[in-house]
Amino acid sequence: MSARTMGSRALDKRGSFFKLIDTIASEIGELKQEMVHTDVSLENGLGPPETHSMVRHQEDPCPEAEEAKGGPRDSGYDSLSGRLSILDRLLHTHPVWLQLGLSEEEAAKILQAQPPGIFLVRKSAKMQRKVLSLRLPSEFGAPLREFTIKESVYTFSLEGSGISFADLFRLIAFYCISRDVLPFTLKLPYAISAAKTEAQLEELAQLGLNFWSSSADSKPPNPPPPHRPPPTDGLCPGPWRQLCLINGVHAIKPRTPSELECSQTNGALCFINPLFLQVHSQDLGAGPKRPSARTLPVNGSERPRSPPPRPPPPAVQSLHASPGLSGTDTRPGMPQTVGPDAQENVATLGRKPTPIPPPRLKKQASFLEAESSAKTLTARPPGRGLEPELEQGTAGSAGGAPPTGDCTRAQPPPASAARPPCHGGRQRLSDMSISTSSSDSLEFERSMPLDGYEGDTNSSLEDYEGESDQETMAPPIKSKKSRHSSFVLPKLVKSQLRKMSGVFSSFMTPEKRMVRRIAELSRDKCTYFGCLVQDYVSFLLENRECHVSSTDMLQTIRQFMTQVKNYLAQSSELDPPIESLIPEDQIDVVLEKAMHKCILKPLKGHVEAMLRDFHVADGSWKQLKENLQLVRQRNPQELGVFAPTPDLVDVEKIKIKFMMMQKMYSPEKKVMLLLRVCKLIYTVMENNSGRMYGADDFLPVLTYVIAQCDMLELDVEIEYMMELLDPSLLHGEGGYYLTSAYGALSLIKNFQEEQAARLLSSETRDTLRQWHKRRTANRSIPSVDDFQNYLRVAFQEVGSGCTGKTLLVRPYVTTEDVCQLCAEKFKVGNPEEYSLFLFVDETWQQLAEDTYPQKIKAELHSRPQPHVFHFVYKRIKSDPYGVTFQNADKDLSPS
Amino acid sequence: MAIRELKVCLLGDTGVGKSSIVCRFVQDHFDHNISPTIGASFMTKTVPCGNELHKFLIWDTAGQERFHSLAPMYYRGSAAAVIVYDITKQDSFHTLKKWVKELKEHGPENIVMAIAGNKCDLSDIREVSLKDAKDYAESIGAIVVETSAKNAINVEELFQGISRQIPPLDPHEKGNNGVICIHGGKPPAQTRRCC
Repeated sequence: MSARTMGSRALDKRGSFFKLIDTIASEIGELKQEMVHTDVSLENGLGPPETHSMVRHQEDPCPEAEEAKGGPRDSGYDSLSGRLSILDRLLHTHPVWLQLGLSEEEAAKILQAQPPGIFLVRKSAKMQRKVLSLRLPSEFGAPLREFTIKESVYTFSLEGSGISFADLFRLIAFYCISRDVLPFTLKLPYAISAAKTEAQLEELAQLGLNFWSSSADSKPPNPPPPHRPPPTDGLCPGPWRQLCLINGVHAIKPRTPSELECSQTNGALCFINPLFLQVHSQDLGAGPKRPSARTLPVNGSERPRSPPPRPPPPAVQSLHASPGLSGTDTRPGMPQTVGPDAQENVATLGRKPTPIPPPRLKKQASFLEAESSAKTLTARPPGRGLEPELEQGTAGSAGGAPPTGDCTRAQPPPASAARPPCHGGRQRLSDMSISTSSSDSLEFERSMPLDGYEGDTNSSLEDYEGESDQETMAPPIKSKKSRHSSFVLPKLVKSQLRKMSGVFSSFMTPEKRMVRRIAELSRDKCTYFGCLVQDYVSFLLENRECHVSSTDMLQTIRQFMTQVKNYLAQSSELDPPIESLIPEDQIDVVLEKAMHKCILKPLKGHVEAMLRDFHVADGSWKQLKENLQLVRQRNPQELGVFAPTPDLVDVEKIKIKFMMMQKMYSPEKKVMLLLRVCKLIYTVMENNSGRMYGADDFLPVLTYVIAQCDMLELDVEIEYMMELLDPSLLHGEGGYYLTSAYGALSLIKNFQEEQAARLLSSETRDTLRQWHKRRTANRSIPSVDDFQNYLRVAFQEVGSGCTGKTLLVRPYVTTEDVCQLCAEKFKVGNPEEYSLFLFVDETWQQLAEDTYPQKIKAELHSRPQPHVFHFVYKRIKSDPYGVTFQNADKDLSPS
Repeated sequence: MAIRELKVCLLGDTGVGKSSIVCRFVQDHFDHNISPTIGASFMTKTVPCGNELHKFLIWDTAGQERFHSLAPMYYRGSAAAVIVYDITKQDSFHTLKKWVKELKEHGPENIVMAIAGNKCDLSDIREVSLKDAKDYAESIGAIVVETSAKNAINVEELFQGISRQIPPLDPHEKGNNGVICIHGGKPPAQTRRCC
């Protein structure tokens, strides 16, 4: 029975509110219909990218014929197994086409010898972004064109296109099949598309860049017509059918939800939802972004492009096909814009009973809400009378893998296991990331209650992530109870939502996948990286006396993690390269998480024991223990508390959070919980008095609370976080509240001396200052985010003195480029006589052409002692500082 | 041009200038008050060599004795080791010999050894003569060069020397000596270089 029929029955009774919900549900059904796992295509294979050029593959069975064999599962691809999909071909041969280090000239040189449609992906030095370099046919005027690849939080897309992909491979695979914003589809080199086995592909990959000049890069016997999309094959237009192929379904036709395929293999990533494709292009056309040629044919003529055959819209889209109608028009009751309340709604879900927000089908927020409700619902004990029916099919979806015949029954696993779906949800939505920013999904993450993790072990705790946020701090337990009584969804909605999250549960974010891969690699002693990590872990376990202090030990661990991160990011040990799977601004975050998993996780117990030993040895453990007793007996006022304090219940809650904190190995997650505690304290202070409090009032209350919790281990926890947290996180709230917690603990430690004064001892303040200096100076290679994109350059000319200008200089701009820029800005006629110098510590250094001024600046800034330095653009030979400079010049010039 | 990755580690007594050499080589920069390395630090630099690009993956290890047992982690997979001493400190030359011994015993079989006598800008207070260093280097089949990270003397040459010593690589075989040939291609002609 289709859930939608059920829905319509219920609708009669429940009015428009549920009508909306039903609309969401059915939309979700449709959405799911379009969501197919790319892994299916990975396993079962796809046709070659350009069937028309591939004579030997033209016996490609027509999809409808296949259906019979494919059976009710509707996949039709099983018989194709053994064939290599485009994605396979791309994955195996990335050393050939993925050439991030290639310059524009080199790329042009290679591509010019290639037929139209052949491409390379490289990184543009100018834009510091990846670009797709595409060989154009002669009638296009230019031999090649570059398309910028946009990377947002978790996705890759071509600039101007609304379709996002989880990684670069899927992006390229898609554009081998559908041109979207390209003038025509991409083409794989003949040798790659003709290869029949993985071994053949590997052989080609071995050639790397040399592939292009080698004999392997042979041309097909009779070259195919260049860039025209293949002719229609009678059943459905060629490109469209191929689009279907990459989706893993052979044809998009309307199906009822019950017909949907519910196979839940791991890690599908690429979803191309034609519905969104269409809708979004309309958004684009209306919005300020570059209009897509498809929606504005007028503009299309500006760019030369081959005549259409664009993928015709699938049948489900016929509703929206009319270009005159905006998405809103065609979907009554679906507000197109999400106001700020979107976030609010997501957030409040975690706090108090709310009416279900109006659906926003095109926005991630609505899915997230739906997801979150679904999860909350499943977390509740059964007993609504609807549950038994819903309970069926849990087994299938909980396991994640086996396809369920009837997807209306698919539902997420309850309570403790209910988290994967959330991640799946985020994953899936961000994969599309069609029309909203990623903030919604972040918001969602934050609003996720933590209670599911309680009593759980590290392995699941590690997956929690989020940022400090008001909503995060809301006590989840309370909200769950209250919702229980008033937040009731009709069963059909629940089943729909469950069905959806069941689908989500099978996806893993590229991030998690990467973390997992690195963790696996770290256990493999056959790899350099694995050796490094394993040796380091055993080194620490075996060399207890190597470290002189707790700080020293934690510092070396932090240093090791940072260095190994650099190693992974810069060596070729990760294959395919991490840049092709993770957007660049996320690489560090992902690597950091991986480091926690492969280094801190195995070391956690040891490190804690060591820290305790150090503190026992230096007496601070005993001191803290005694003083904790002392402080506990004081009343709040004696500790300088003049604000309401948390009652026993709240203290208990805080204690639970601290205990959870102890279980985690990731310093980031520990800090998250610390922030929650702090937030809870603030909330108590403010709720019980109705006024706002500042930091001055907060510290005494925090001290009081910590004393009440009576947990000696907190000292170790704080130290662990302070030293191991990623330096980039020290600047935010995390760093601030860590400092507060450290301060509170030292107030307790020094309780007697300070006579309950609210002030930190000067010693404590010194320690904190040193800590901050050390930790912020510790960053051996500052990340791109650290420095601003501006460089102050002084222009020194004999006679006319000094003038300064602030120039826009991006991190990876070389001195050579800065010199050019200076020549322009300072209107220098003979730039070859000038150069960029660094004046620091009273000495001049002429900067070599290939150095990066911003990196040098960042390095100078990160030194423990502040240095006065100037970047000066001046003549190379005539120098006002005479001798000093002459010497420096001689020494520094490359010999 | 094909890129080849070469893992290199720096060894030597504390304070001889290992990090400064790396910093000069990678960033062409010299820091007067560099703090002692804890554990190890990692940097990379790519330089052309013949018809290839050599990407140096450099592990700069801590010289302090207490970190000594960390060093094998880094040299074990290395294609080359740069062992640094301070020409103004005889002791550091002794430490260098200990490192060479350790490498011979526990290091990879074909590891390229390069000896760098750093701080050659301070040759007026020299304690180790260039001849001693050269004789020793010859006896162990290592490259030797006197460097000044402060004044950028011979730092690039040191690494160029290493490049030339890297044994040729069969393009179909993934190097297990810290040499990974990413993009295949022919190895450069081998020329022995001594300064």
